[in-house]
Amino acid sequence: MLVALLFISLQANAQFQVSGTVSDEAGETLIGVSILVKGTTRGTISDIDGNYTIDVPGSSAVLEFSYTGFKTETVEVSPSNTTLNVTLSEDITNLAEVVVTGLASTIKRSNLANAVSKVSGTELTGVTTQSSVDGALYGKLTGVNIVQSNGAPGGGIAVRLRGVSSLSGNNQPLIILDGVYITNAEIPSGSRFASGANSGTEEGSSNRIADINPADIESIEVLKGASAAAIYGTRANAGVIIITTKKGVAGKTRVTLSQDIGFNTIQNKVGRRSLDSEAEVAEVYPNDPDAPAQWAAARAAGRLFDYEDEIYGETGLISDTRLNVSGGNDKTKYFISGAYRTEDGIIKNTGYDRFTTRMNIDHKISDKLTISTTSNYVRSDASRSFTGNENEGGLSYGYTLAFTRDYVDLFPDENGVYPNNPNYAGNPIFVRDQAKNEESNNRFIQGVKLDWQALQKDNQVLRFTLNGGLDFLFNQTNVYVPETHQAQVGLDNGFIGVGKNTIFNYNYQLFGSYDYYTDGGLSFSTQAGISYLSFDRDFVLNQTTQLIPLQTNLTQGGTQEISQRLETEQEFGFIAQEQINWDDKLIATVGVRFDKSSLNGDPNKYYAFPRASLAANIANFDFWNSTDISQFKLRVAYGETGNSASFGSLFTSLSPNNINGAPGFVIRSQQGNPDLIPETSSELEFGTDLSLFDNKLGIELTYYIRNVKDLLYNRSLPSSSGFTNEIRNDLDLENTGLELGLTINPVRTSNFDWVTNVNFWFNNSEITLLGTPGNGTDAADIPSFVPPGVAFGLGLGSFYINEGTPITALWGRDANGNPTITGDTEPDFQLGWYNQFKIGKRVDFNFLTHWKQGGDVLNLSRLLTDIGGVTPENLLDLEGFIEDASYFRLREVGLYYTLPFESDYIENIRFGVSGRNLITLTDYSSYDPETSTKGGTGLSTGIEVTPFPSSRQLYFHVNFNF
Amino acid sequence: MILTDKPGQQTSKEMDRENSKFEMSSLTAGVIKSVNKKKTIMRKAFILLLGLALYTTSCTFDDQVDPNAPSLNSVLSNASLQELNLLVTGTEAAMRNGFGTFCTSSGSIAREFYKFDADPRNTEDLLGKNGTQLDNNTFYLTAPYNTRYRVVKNCNILLEAVDNTDQVTAAEKDGYRGFANTVKAHMLLQVLSMLDDNGIRIDVADPENIGPFVAEGQAYNDILALLDLGFSQLSGASFAFSLSSGFDGFNTPSSFGQYNRAISAKTALYAEQWDEVTKVINTTFMDLGGPLDVGPKHVFSNSSGDIQNPLFKAAGQSGDQLVVHNDFINNATAGDARLSKFRARINTPSQDDLNGTHETALFATSTSSIDLIRNEELILIYAEASMQNGDLTEAVNAINVIRNAAGIGDYAGTVDKDSLIDELLYQRSYSLWGEGHRMFDMRRYGRLNSNFLPIDRAGDIIHTKFPVPLTEG
Repeated sequence: MLVALLFISLQANAQFQVSGTVSDEAGETLIGVSILVKGTTRGTISDIDGNYTIDVPGSSAVLEFSYTGFKTETVEVSPSNTTLNVTLSEDITNLAEVVVTGLASTIKRSNLANAVSKVSGTELTGVTTQSSVDGALYGKLTGVNIVQSNGAPGGGIAVRLRGVSSLSGNNQPLIILDGVYITNAEIPSGSRFASGANSGTEEGSSNRIADINPADIESIEVLKGASAAAIYGTRANAGVIIITTKKGVAGKTRVTLSQDIGFNTIQNKVGRRSLDSEAEVAEVYPNDPDAPAQWAAARAAGRLFDYEDEIYGETGLISDTRLNVSGGNDKTKYFISGAYRTEDGIIKNTGYDRFTTRMNIDHKISDKLTISTTSNYVRSDASRSFTGNENEGGLSYGYTLAFTRDYVDLFPDENGVYPNNPNYAGNPIFVRDQAKNEESNNRFIQGVKLDWQALQKDNQVLRFTLNGGLDFLFNQTNVYVPETHQAQVGLDNGFIGVGKNTIFNYNYQLFGSYDYYTDGGLSFSTQAGISYLSFDRDFVLNQTTQLIPLQTNLTQGGTQEISQRLETEQEFGFIAQEQINWDDKLIATVGVRFDKSSLNGDPNKYYAFPRASLAANIANFDFWNSTDISQFKLRVAYGETGNSASFGSLFTSLSPNNINGAPGFVIRSQQGNPDLIPETSSELEFGTDLSLFDNKLGIELTYYIRNVKDLLYNRSLPSSSGFTNEIRNDLDLENTGLELGLTINPVRTSNFDWVTNVNFWFNNSEITLLGTPGNGTDAADIPSFVPPGVAFGLGLGSFYINEGTPITALWGRDANGNPTITGDTEPDFQLGWYNQFKIGKRVDFNFLTHWKQGGDVLNLSRLLTDIGGVTPENLLDLEGFIEDASYFRLREVGLYYTLPFESDYIENIRFGVSGRNLITLTDYSSYDPETSTKGGTGLSTGIEVTPFPSSRQLYFHVNFNF
Repeated sequence: MILTDKPGQQTSKEMDRENSKFEMSSLTAGVIKSVNKKKTIMRKAFILLLGLALYTTSCTFDDQVDPNAPSLNSVLSNASLQELNLLVTGTEAAMRNGFGTFCTSSGSIAREFYKFDADPRNTEDLLGKNGTQLDNNTFYLTAPYNTRYRVVKNCNILLEAVDNTDQVTAAEKDGYRGFANTVKAHMLLQVLSMLDDNGIRIDVADPENIGPFVAEGQAYNDILALLDLGFSQLSGASFAFSLSSGFDGFNTPSSFGQYNRAISAKTALYAEQWDEVTKVINTTFMDLGGPLDVGPKHVFSNSSGDIQNPLFKAAGQSGDQLVVHNDFINNATAGDARLSKFRARINTPSQDDLNGTHETALFATSTSSIDLIRNEELILIYAEASMQNGDLTEAVNAINVIRNAAGIGDYAGTVDKDSLIDELLYQRSYSLWGEGHRMFDMRRYGRLNSNFLPIDRAGDIIHTKFPVPLTEG
């Protein structure tokens, strides 16, 4: 018995200590390197001097040194070598990088079975200053089609991951910021009631993702397809974007102050018809006998104008100031940031201001319990004026400029009175100077995470994580059209629209995870948990018309109208996942999420979203002895995600229709469906990852097949039924595509380092089922139809839902009047090329180009300028309005110089010059080949109607590190 | 001493007691402590998971109710008086939606005016520029078509609600039915005039089993039958609802019945059933000696939630205007009071190679009312039926009432049928200008073509009907 006791004590005593320093190839020590005893849970990280000490159990073990951006080193240790200094070499393929896999766990990139794109903070904002997060992602990821809806300051971008996945309005990915599900709504301002636009989506609203300060971001992970995003269940059809903000690092307090000064100018002017003689004027306006004489008089008086330049020709000033303070000790770490960005647009009186503050704190309450909080307050204001579609409101610049003639004087006289525009319903100079379309946002995002390491032994860890957060947004919109506007006189006599919109989201997740390591190199990770989401929206729009002259207050008008829209959504799910890892050689994952949503016909029915994946690291097997190829992974993954109908789809309701002050009901034109089920996307993904030549070449190749079943769509009903559309579930869509990423480090010397990233991808879609199989022959089948509200009629060109053809195709009519395909808004392929050069120790030069080949746009702006007679001569002989919108863009370019400053206060100063969208090569005839007149929802991209022109930016930077 | 670990056989309390009893090395104590700790942790974890399981099963979502509007089902069973009245008011209000486009689309085709605005299709498609046919998926068809049928649906909902409630008396129920069937028929007549020999769907009450397209002749008979049904329901009915001031003088069952008969006369006229017209016209409110503007009206206001007159155009605004076709100015009779419907334009910019000297002044303000059908039109209907039935003297009498009201004196031309038809169409074109009549009047007499209507630009064509909308399949 005593022997047994001694035995126990000897076993418990058998461990030794290893210590040393970790540095890189240049001899600089590395802070925060993770050192793990392989096959156990025991680990430590290197301190601020690069030193580490670790207790190793047993009499020998393998230590694993890993650090993002560097190749993982494994070293055998035994009690005889207790001092171990390690040098890590750079790894541009980032195999050691850690990536999110479940909701509460992470995995090394080298073991990952899905294609998950990760963009680091330096890649995001390192080349040039970015105005918003979604705009910063161009060209840096494969498989994503990012299209800016319009160039108005404050953003407005549609992000499509692996093709169109939904028609019901939510094609935008789910966005999670530090564990908080945040809103990326596009909130209309109500300007359509003044301009006559058809719907809120035509107002060119900004997307609330613009509130996030890109400089706060540590990394963005994009889970592109169902196989990666399945664990997020019923909101994840369009993919998931996981944003992690910067956290404090223990050690000396770091202070960074950055200042950018920049200029905003129009990217591409279309130009206007130049009128050079009276004869030419008579030719352009043959039924206006007075026109040539008016033109001649204007020329004689020197009052010929270029109204396009007048309106769009401003040079806007941009200033972006950022201050970060971060630091901490081994118990508490903090990151505090404050930033203020102000940007003037290319149209006078437009602009965007954003003020953000952030505080991230991580605190170790005890050895086992840590708490992290992230708090972010944002105040942003935008003035976007009037662009986009309208119906005789006389407000949208694209419309007014299309009909305005350059020989007519529209400037105010000495009394400040603006003349009426004789050729259109509004004077653009008047609208620019006197009308307003503004919004302001106050937003607070708070996340909290509590992590309890319940059990930690050598070969097992049990952890519980509780995280939650809230996103509170208060948005106010303000639209003002004076009563003196020529389209208002005698009709509405002025318009004030004030919107007060509140969105409150909160979510929490509770997870338990258990990791178990066996001696044979097999490890098991089990996760189970619950997740709850609640979204609440309250939109109130107040309108006043018949204004008292010169008044801008809602009270000061004869007619007032209020409308309110309430929406609530709740979701609840439970999740389980099991991952089995055999010695980093084979990694298998299987998991399922059961979700229910109040948006479905049966709010308490659970829908299952399973996933499974297998990754094989061939290069880790013993038989592999190629030194050139250090990683060769084959992977296959399958997953299912869902998307529920948008709020209100379940209901068939009556809407108010009043006469003479008396209220009445009339049937609402959308027929609801109380039996809706979520649409499900199931995806199969195959891929391979290779790392060759000492990690100087990385290749990532993925092929995916994505089937969306039971797609929710608005079908046009025979309007004689009284309804114009109904929501149905019987549409299936397939997206297939290829993604290829190459990372190459061709030159790596101490004086010159060049890393280049090439991303190539394409996607194709096909409607595989509409109604019942077979095309319209069965009586119960659904015939092909034009989806309501996506365009302006098949005559001009529209999307068309038809079995066997791509969902992104544009259709028109053939000679016999039958619908026929006339174009496709899906690009043939996209290529992003990103280069980083380090010259000497001080100079950085980076640039990113983006080539989109194919993808058509229906250019209805040119339809308008043709009628108005202002289309420039070189565009007059273009056939039809569907144009090839291929482009090659120099998206970002930056040159920086770091000046070291060996002083107590300043560590270094960095100067730079950079630009965004400086060069665009395209045959497209209008302002920007990237355009969407219906915002970021549904099938929107690819139709242009007089957008706010896009701009290019040039910046000068100075950055102090203290 | 040997320590025996008997998991599950001793409570943790007992184990603690045992632990304190024995002296042991810190090592074994450590082992025991960690074992105990593991147990308490596992227990805590288990309790947590149990709590989780209980929580998840108890988290139920309520059935969803629309927080933004009342549901259709709530009125279809046991509707209250108030709900039925809200349906009536909503129906009356909705009759106005889309009517503007009905007038501007048919008026453009009939060359009454040109609509100058930002949408090129008003001067391209509608005027058949370069032979363009009308598109079956564009606003000039879908706006009036969809809005007419929305009113029809509302009427069908009202009829179904009335059949399924006991909150109103039988007489009151007939009142609702008479109202619904009359309005429904009036809307179907407007759609039929647009679609002509394409036919229309009449029975559209059930969206799952929508009725077929009915041929033109049968459709007219169905509409007449519907009006007769409504009329019979109105006799002996009582109105538990009120209508807007536009129906002043037509808001009792008997006076509303006169509006019903007026639409019946108009329908029979369009169907060219001249005997029927003569039979019905005397039960309408036609009065050869009375004011011409008597009749039910669409009213507009600036009240909250209300709309403005869609055919009102502000003076001098060329960016959104109805420019009168010059033929109406050139062919006018001197001193005709109806010329006040046209206002001379100050600036005359052209659009799409078209121009005109005058613009619409049909409505004085944005809240001016629009007639549904007035005495003037009934007199013209009476005149036309008389001509077709051979009673030429009576026809001339009726025409003279119109002429004298317009200040141009009695008819002095030849009194034979063909000349009188020409005179009738001329008088209709000015009396009912811009109100959605001319296209159908010209078509009725085979004159909706380039022999009788002007071709302003080479290549323009005259359309005779609207196509069946794309959504009808």
